[in-house]
Amino acid sequence: MKFTLQWLKEHIDTDLAANIIGEKLTMAGLELDGLTDLGAGLELVQVGELISVEQHPNADRLTCCKVMVGEEELSIVCGAKNHKTGDKVAVARVGANLPNGLKIKKGKIRNELSEGMLCSLAELGMADSADGIIILPDSAESGAAVAEILGRSGSLFELDLTPNRGDCLGVRGIARELGVLTNKPLKPLAAKVQVSNDSQASIEIKDIQGCPRYGGRIIRGVTIAPSPGWLRDRLESVGLRSINNVVDVTNFILLDLNHPLHAFDLAKISLPLQVRQANAGEVLTTLDEVKRQLSTEMTVIADQTRPLALAGIMGGEDSGVTEVTRDIFLEAAYFNPIRTAHTGRKLAIQSDSRHRFERGVDPMGLELALDRATELILELAGGSAGPNNIVDTGVWQPNAPIPFRPERINQLGGIKLPIAEMETMLLGIGCKKTPAGEFQPPSHRHDLVIEEDLLEEVVRLYGYDRVPSSLPRIEVDVPESNPGVSTARKVRKILTGIGYYETINYAFVSQALQDQFDPGAKTTALLNPISEDQAVMRSTLICGLMESARRNLSQGNLILKLFEVGRVFCSGDNDVLVEEDRVGALLSGNKTNKNWYSKDRQVDFFDIKGDLTALISGLIDKKLLFEPGGPEFLHPGRKALVYTGRERELIGWVGELHPAISETLDPAQPIFIFEIASKHLHTQTDKQSSKKAHETISRYPSVERDFAFLLADTVPAGQFLTAIKGVDSQLIKDVTLFDLYTGQHMQPGEKSLALKVTMQADDRTLTETESQKLSEQIINLAKEKFNATQR
Amino acid sequence: MREQLEALKTQALEQLAAADSVDELEKVRVQTLGKKGELTKILRGLGKVSPEERPKIGVLANQIKEAFNQALAEQQALLKKSAMTARLNDEQIDITLPGRTPDVGSIHPVTRALEEMTTIFTHMGFPPATGPEVEDDWYNFGALNIPDDHPAREMHDTFYLPPAHDGGKRLLRTHTSSVQVHFMENRQPPIRMIAPGKVFRCDSDITHTPMFHQVEGILVDEGVDFGQLKGLIETFLVRFFARELPVRFRPSFFPFTEPSAEADMGCIFCDAKGCRICKNTGWIEILGCGMIHPNVLENVQIDTEKYAGFAFGMGVERLAMLKYGINDLRTFFENDIRFLRRHASVGGE
Repeated sequence: MKFTLQWLKEHIDTDLAANIIGEKLTMAGLELDGLTDLGAGLELVQVGELISVEQHPNADRLTCCKVMVGEEELSIVCGAKNHKTGDKVAVARVGANLPNGLKIKKGKIRNELSEGMLCSLAELGMADSADGIIILPDSAESGAAVAEILGRSGSLFELDLTPNRGDCLGVRGIARELGVLTNKPLKPLAAKVQVSNDSQASIEIKDIQGCPRYGGRIIRGVTIAPSPGWLRDRLESVGLRSINNVVDVTNFILLDLNHPLHAFDLAKISLPLQVRQANAGEVLTTLDEVKRQLSTEMTVIADQTRPLALAGIMGGEDSGVTEVTRDIFLEAAYFNPIRTAHTGRKLAIQSDSRHRFERGVDPMGLELALDRATELILELAGGSAGPNNIVDTGVWQPNAPIPFRPERINQLGGIKLPIAEMETMLLGIGCKKTPAGEFQPPSHRHDLVIEEDLLEEVVRLYGYDRVPSSLPRIEVDVPESNPGVSTARKVRKILTGIGYYETINYAFVSQALQDQFDPGAKTTALLNPISEDQAVMRSTLICGLMESARRNLSQGNLILKLFEVGRVFCSGDNDVLVEEDRVGALLSGNKTNKNWYSKDRQVDFFDIKGDLTALISGLIDKKLLFEPGGPEFLHPGRKALVYTGRERELIGWVGELHPAISETLDPAQPIFIFEIASKHLHTQTDKQSSKKAHETISRYPSVERDFAFLLADTVPAGQFLTAIKGVDSQLIKDVTLFDLYTGQHMQPGEKSLALKVTMQADDRTLTETESQKLSEQIINLAKEKFNATQR
Repeated sequence: MREQLEALKTQALEQLAAADSVDELEKVRVQTLGKKGELTKILRGLGKVSPEERPKIGVLANQIKEAFNQALAEQQALLKKSAMTARLNDEQIDITLPGRTPDVGSIHPVTRALEEMTTIFTHMGFPPATGPEVEDDWYNFGALNIPDDHPAREMHDTFYLPPAHDGGKRLLRTHTSSVQVHFMENRQPPIRMIAPGKVFRCDSDITHTPMFHQVEGILVDEGVDFGQLKGLIETFLVRFFARELPVRFRPSFFPFTEPSAEADMGCIFCDAKGCRICKNTGWIEILGCGMIHPNVLENVQIDTEKYAGFAFGMGVERLAMLKYGINDLRTFFENDIRFLRRHASVGGE
């Protein structure tokens, strides 16, 4: 919403500076978004009188002028042709910094002194191009500021209004607000219309929901012409283009009184008028020359043959006012806000009219808007006015009176305001007090419905900044635990501790990525995606981690330790979308940065497997099981499914990215990834975790025995180690693999595993015989089950 | 014999003093005091000494032993000390060489800001709560007093998903305010919580990403008032920014609060003097808040005569940018490791 200080002063007497007004409005909820000086750049442009115009001695196209600016005589060289001695002109003085960027300096033009510039409209930023310099009216006083004479002075406000304050979309509404804030009355506003013909348009409202009130009047014999300067200036000062006197008056009333009006060319419509729902398949070409396909939930103004206008949004192209229009029908209405919004959105039409109707104009404001507009039209375009004909369906009813409980307002607002002061405020915004002590909101305040609305008005007008700050009194209690939040925190703690960086990736990815990293999964696509790259909901974190890896590699960041804790979206039965929190990580590049103490080594499967193991064992106390297998985009020989505990619950997978995919990276390097469902990482309940916690650490000495076995290469080491641990799960506390050897000095297909086995009893010192027996059992098991021989 | 012994003493002590290793000392000791050592040899001739001389020789021999042992101990200590000195000399390193620094990663700056906020509010008695990111119309709009076709809905550019099996609308939540509804619908006051999380809006340009994060908070109880909301927000902002900056509240509009307010904070870049970032106003918009609209409370069966509440919501990226001096919103989701390292912070509370 834009308006000038000058315009505001038409409605209210105020001597406050523009910035103070802006501050007051902001603190009352009408946020000032910008305050600019309309005359910016014109400060040093003054009226001058030409006292002589002579041909430039050295240039055919230039003249040398003597100009009186106030008491000063200046010599100025000018290139225009439309000036003569005695003319009043706009002189830009030396030092002026004009709106078009030109800086005026003293200088010589072809050897003749020039102490300023005679300006055109274009140079003053008031026209795109200009033919010659400005010749001002004779009445302009020499030395006066040109900005004022051209209507370019004063402050331009721009407010960012919230949708509930549709009543402030007119200058009078702003003035009303300022009046309450500063205790100043509004200037009276009345329109006197001489009704001089009895022409009346008959009107029928068929769509009473879409249009509760509708009316207008016929004005005959108008002369369409350009608007006078004051009206053009008003509209242009707030960025509207002047069209002609009649259209400009309707726009002026829209901006001034916040009531959109429309003028039909009476010759182009056949009365009577109907306000009805559009028929299915009906077509209307609107003023913006777009052919609109209408549907039945839209309200139109129609005559006997066709729809003429889209109610509250835009007029039709073929029934509007043109230069040859003589008779008009001037329309005012109260259209249903919701219907207007719906139609506007469906047809994607933005208009000043729609903006106001969908926020709710004053249903009781039709008469005043019509009369004020008529008064101006008669003044500017002549003609004779018929009487207003306004049809009220009775559908619109004023908001019911609102109960007023001052003590409750004080309590909820945290203030202590006397009742009388509250009442003054509410009366000030136009509410009426009923005999029952309730407050009836004015018809232009659709937003006042419930007690809390009165509360807001009182606190707002009192000033939010004057409400004393305090702190709530809170009862001590133990907050509920949130396993999702705490698991995510712990995951971050561990993974950052072992060197991983957290990433946050978009929840939507391209279909192509989704197909690559969760092939076969049913994807859920957004109905209105921003781009193809963000079109479907991710069902795995890998898509985002891979994109982050790709971007980092292309930036030359070659050591990657990335992770994400985030949500994925999986389609279940009946299209139910299941949201699941997951942890994903990606590892690639060298184990460490180049350094002086160790050799470079690329990370491999066992690095990420180790990191994953560290993560899980830091969170839950369950056995982990890795078995060959996993998604297709992983290296078939380097991937594992991860299970926990005796229940063998699948919790995720880990592996090396398939080389066919990692080769497409630039630079290409092996990538290792895992993904785990977070719910499996939640801290166990006390019951589950207590068992292990209560096992005591043995105080008796332990025995360590080393073994080296030769066995077939095909035997998975993990199985072998688990089996050995299983020889006596009570006495064998730990089995550590400390050497793995294949290759030279070995039979093909064989490998050597060296183990350290720790044996210990919880209740006694293990005897030599016992440990010897255990060793034999280990050797026997290795022999029998794995055909392994001791080296 | 006495002379022999005196000579041995002199010789042995000289040998001890000349020894420059523990081994040599031992050799001298064996030579002097060992079973086959010099002293034993000399004392073998004791038989030839007169009986009255014998005890005196015995005393002298013991004196020599003692003197020797004492000198030996001193020499041992001396040698040990110099050996240690030599070793320390040898073991000297260049401590200016870089350490073997283990990798320490970092949480994302958005998480960092979220955690800082969550921690402050948790300490003030507002535990974190979470909710679904895919919502239906009711939780995201209807229950929050945003009816269909309300102009406020245009403030939200909503991402829609295909309708559910029963035909219900599905959408990505446009604010974490939806968590309010989930949280309140199964509880009665006193209610306190904050809802940190991702939200989505169909908007992408230099100052908007289609996904971002919010923290929403509510309190519903008896005797709640607007001044308490002000105090809570002021306290939070001072804690979060670790600066005493002015905070102002001005009326605004949100369908789910009445009265509604927006909180501005004195610009941290220019100490509220006015700069490019605050558009010369000295103020920066920080968050929205207000007293919970009675329709919202009624939608979750809370008695609005007995209870009232307030709610607040803030954009995490915005606050993170202000606090950590990040100037381009889009860098948050590019995850460039150099960016993540620059704003490094490890996980945990």
